[in-house]
Amino acid sequence: MAFVIRFFGGGATAAPGLIALKIDPNLVRKLNKEITFGSVIISGTNGKTTTARLIYDVLSTKYKVIHNRQGSNLLRGIASTLISQSTIPGKLKFDLAIWEVDEATLPESIKNVYPKTIVLLNLFRDQLDRYGEVDSIRVKWQKTLITLPKDTTLILNSDDPGISILEKSHKGKTIFFGVGDNHVRLPEVTSVVDVKHCLICGANLIFSAQLSSHLGKYRCSNCDFKRPTPNVSAVNLNFKPDFSTSISLNANGQTLNINYSLPGLYNVYNILATSATASLYKIALPTVKNKIETFSSAFGRFQRTKIQNRELLTFLIKNPAGANEVIRTISKLSKNNLLVILNDKIADGRDVSWIWDTDWEILKDKTRDVFVAGTRCFDMALRMKYAGIGLSKNNIYKEVNYSILSTLKKMSNKNTLIVLPTYTALLDVQKTLNRIGEDVTKWQKQ
Amino acid sequence: MAKTMTLNICHLYPDLMDTYGDKGNIITIQKRCKWRGIDINLTNITIGQSLPASGFDLYFFGGGQDKAQTIVGKDLMKKGQTLKKAADNGTVFLSICGGYQLLQKYFKTKTGEIIKGIGLFDAYTVGSDNRMIQNLMIKINPELEQEIKSVYQTTNYQLPTTNLVGFENHSGKTYLGKNTKSLGKVIKGAGNNGEDKTEGAVYKNAFGCYLHGSLLPKNPHFADYLISKALERRYGKVKLKPLDDTLEWQAHNSAMEKAKE
Repeated sequence: MAFVIRFFGGGATAAPGLIALKIDPNLVRKLNKEITFGSVIISGTNGKTTTARLIYDVLSTKYKVIHNRQGSNLLRGIASTLISQSTIPGKLKFDLAIWEVDEATLPESIKNVYPKTIVLLNLFRDQLDRYGEVDSIRVKWQKTLITLPKDTTLILNSDDPGISILEKSHKGKTIFFGVGDNHVRLPEVTSVVDVKHCLICGANLIFSAQLSSHLGKYRCSNCDFKRPTPNVSAVNLNFKPDFSTSISLNANGQTLNINYSLPGLYNVYNILATSATASLYKIALPTVKNKIETFSSAFGRFQRTKIQNRELLTFLIKNPAGANEVIRTISKLSKNNLLVILNDKIADGRDVSWIWDTDWEILKDKTRDVFVAGTRCFDMALRMKYAGIGLSKNNIYKEVNYSILSTLKKMSNKNTLIVLPTYTALLDVQKTLNRIGEDVTKWQKQ
Repeated sequence: MAKTMTLNICHLYPDLMDTYGDKGNIITIQKRCKWRGIDINLTNITIGQSLPASGFDLYFFGGGQDKAQTIVGKDLMKKGQTLKKAADNGTVFLSICGGYQLLQKYFKTKTGEIIKGIGLFDAYTVGSDNRMIQNLMIKINPELEQEIKSVYQTTNYQLPTTNLVGFENHSGKTYLGKNTKSLGKVIKGAGNNGEDKTEGAVYKNAFGCYLHGSLLPKNPHFADYLISKALERRYGKVKLKPLDDTLEWQAHNSAMEKAKE
C-alpha cells in the first residue's frame, strides 16, 4: 500500500501520510517495527528541530537514516516520511529513523514507533491555548514513559528539573546531558520559571546555579531530589560577537573543544543532546565534533541571509523561554536594527499574552531602528512602548512582505537587520526573501 | 508645587501565579503612573510571607498552573481576613483567572473535591471538561461605564468605547451569587461560564475576570480607572494627566476585530 500512496501523494508534507493512516491506521506501527536499528524520538518545547537535524547529520555517518525533516511532526508527517522512503513492495530504504515530535503528540508517537531512544530537551510554557499547562504535559509523558520496555534508552536534560524527573518513570537506562558552568556570559534576563517546586514532595527547589528559566543546578529543600550528574557535559561556554560559540565537551571520559556557528545557550543544549545520542550509538567524538562544526542551522532558527548588500539574521521566536534566550543573545550587540513580527494564527498560538512574559526591556538601550509587523503588530508595538523601546508609528506594518521591503529601504546599507518572526510569520519571511533573492539575481543577470 | 503622589501596589504570588502573561498589567500600571510623575512602590508577597494589615492601594493577583493554584490556595487562607478587610475598605483589586477563582467562595473540581477560596467575591467555580479558549470581548456594566467616562481622558482620542477585550483560557465555570455584580456582559467569547453571558465580578473596588492578553495595556481606560480609584483612597479625587493612547487604542481595536472573527 505504501508505494501506491507515494505514487499519488505528491509533494505536500503530511497529505500522503494522512491518506495512508485512513486506509491503515496501523501503518506507522507496522513499518517502524521493520526498521533494523529502530527509531530515535526527539521532543521538548524548544530546540527539537535543530537537535533532530544535528542528530541526523551525526548518525548519518554510520547509518542509513530518515528524518521527518519537513517539520511536519504529527503522526501523519511520520507516515508520509516512511512512505516516501519505502520501495515497491514496501521494503525500507533505511535502517534508522529520527522522529521530531510535538510535545502534545509524544505519547501517541511513542505508542506507534517503538522508539529505541527518546531524547527529551526541555519543557517550557508554550502556546497555552494549544498545549495547555507544562504540568499537565509532563503528567501525560510520565504515564506513557512508564509503559516503555527496559531496552529503551532515555536521553534527558539534567538541568531541567521537569525533564530529569522523568528518569523515575522509566525502567531502563537513562543518559543525562547538562551544562557544567555555574554562570553563562550573557546578559541577565528576567525569565519565566515554570518549575519552582520539587516534583516529588512539593517543597521549594533551591538553585545554586540558574542558567536560564528553570534550567540549572537545583536540589529540593526537603527530599533528596536533585540535579543528576550529567554523563555528557559542556564547560567554558564562550558566546562570541559573531554569534559563533565555543565549548569544551566532555563525553565518555574524553574532552574536546568545539567551535561552531550557532548562537546562544539554547544551542549548547541542542549540541549536548546530540553528543549524548552519538555516544549511545557509538559514534567517535571527533566525528561528532566535525559534524557540529560544519552544521548549518535549521530553517529560520538562526539564518543569515544577504539581500541587496544587507545582512539579515532571522531567529524564530515562539514562546517566552525561547524568545528570552534569543533576546539575551542579540543583546550582546549594541545597535540592533530589529523587525519583530507577531502573528496569532493557530500555529503561532492565538493568545499573544506571552509577549508580556518576555523580557524585551533588556533591549531598551540596544536598539537603533525598530520595526514591528504581523497580524498583531499593534500588540507588539504596545509591548515595545511599555518596554521603553522607541518605535516610530511609521514603522508598524500589518503585512509581512511589505514590512521587510520597507524596512530594508529605511535602513542604511551596512547595517544588519535582525528579524524575529513567530512561526507562520517565518514562512512569510522565507517567501519574501526567496522572491527578493530571485529578483536580485535576475537584475544582476540583465 | 504639588506633593508627589505614591501608589503602593501589592503583587500577590508573582512567582507562582505568573503563567498567562498577566505581568503586563503590572508593567502598565507602573508605566502609566511613571509617565504622570506618580511614584510606585511595588511589593511582592508570596507563600509563607506575612501580609501587612494595611498600606496597599492596589492588589494584583494573576493566573497560574492548577498545581500552583492549589499551593497558593492553602497559603491564601492565612491572608484571607486581611484581604477581605482591605476590599471592604474600598482598596482596589484586580484578579484574573486563577487569582479571581481563589478570591471566590470555593472551587469544585471535576472530581467533586472542594478547594476553599476566601470568599471576597460572592461567587463559586465548578470545573468542567471543556476549556474556554478564545478572544473575549465584553461590554462593561453600566455603572462602571459612567465612572470610567468621568475618569478617563486621553490627549488625542475620543473614548470610543468602554468595552474590554482580552483572551480567555479556563475550564472552570464561574457562577455569581444573587447580589454580585458582573464586570460586564459578554459580546464575544464565553466569560464566566459560557451560559449566562456574564463576565467577571465586582465587589466595591475589587474586580475579577478571565481577561488575559494582558488586559490593561490595550484597555487603557480601565487601567486609568483602577489607578485613579487606587489613588482616591489616600489623595481624594484625582484628575489624571491625559496620555497619548493612540497605540493603546489601535491594539484595542485590532483585538476587537480578532474577537469578532
